[in-house]
Amino acid sequence: MKKIEVDARGQACPKPVIMTKKELDNIEEGIIITIVDNEVAKNNVSKLANSLGFEYKVDEGENEYLITIIKGKGEVKEEEKAKGAVSGDKVVVFSSNTMGKGSEELGKVLIKSFIYTLTETSPYPATLIFYNGGVHLTCEGSPVLEDLKKLEDEGVEIISCGTCLDYFNIKDKLQVGQISNMYTIYDKMANAGNIINIG
Amino acid sequence: MKDKEYGIITFKSTHFAIKAESVFGSQSINTRTIPVPREISRSCGLAIRFDLDDMEKVDQIISEFNLDIDGIYKVIKGDNLNKVEKLN
Repeated sequence: MKKIEVDARGQACPKPVIMTKKELDNIEEGIIITIVDNEVAKNNVSKLANSLGFEYKVDEGENEYLITIIKGKGEVKEEEKAKGAVSGDKVVVFSSNTMGKGSEELGKVLIKSFIYTLTETSPYPATLIFYNGGVHLTCEGSPVLEDLKKLEDEGVEIISCGTCLDYFNIKDKLQVGQISNMYTIYDKMANAGNIINIG
Repeated sequence: MKDKEYGIITFKSTHFAIKAESVFGSQSINTRTIPVPREISRSCGLAIRFDLDDMEKVDQIISEFNLDIDGIYKVIKGDNLNKVEKLN
């Protein structure tokens, strides 16, 4: 099997993922070994391999991580995944805690209705991103926590913008999903096949 | 909340649905606002979902607060389509 090495040491956040993805797209089957020098990059490249359904393993060296991804062997898994609960490349972005403009009261009802609909419709999106006023939806007091927790249990990744949580002073009120930064938010959007914007 | 079978209340207008949401929100029973299931084409698009065990209380609240409702249905979840029975 063909072996390709991707040296992504010293590359800033989304770059190792982009470099790995590019090589994976170029080959029909084979092995990609991506070398990175930090844990965040290691996690992100691993997540990429996982989301594409490829077999992968991580070796830890001194100040570096080797992620070995096998394309070809894992493709059955990819098909299975497509039929499963989460759709690989769909991302829904919430930029506000209401839906649409015109009436705030209505917007708050609509967003609840929308998120409920997400839980009722499979395949689920791979990722939900919350930024600006949207982060209120993932925090204490949100009327949609129950639904978001259900989606998270089904494997949907839930990301809230850390800057935004900080701005509203509700970082300690986060109830569901992970805190993330703009690099990850951009990365998720850039790698999405389909983005739905709600706000 | 039970997921397989539940009751829903539909409304003729979104305003009635929003008013009902705030009334039910102040009561002790567990309800939530959801989009009206596709199987029920009529009404405004928003419905209140409740546990069928609370049926009696729901009826009480509707009459006590004089809520303007369109219908009450029982929803039985299916894989693709839900089964819907009109109760009221």
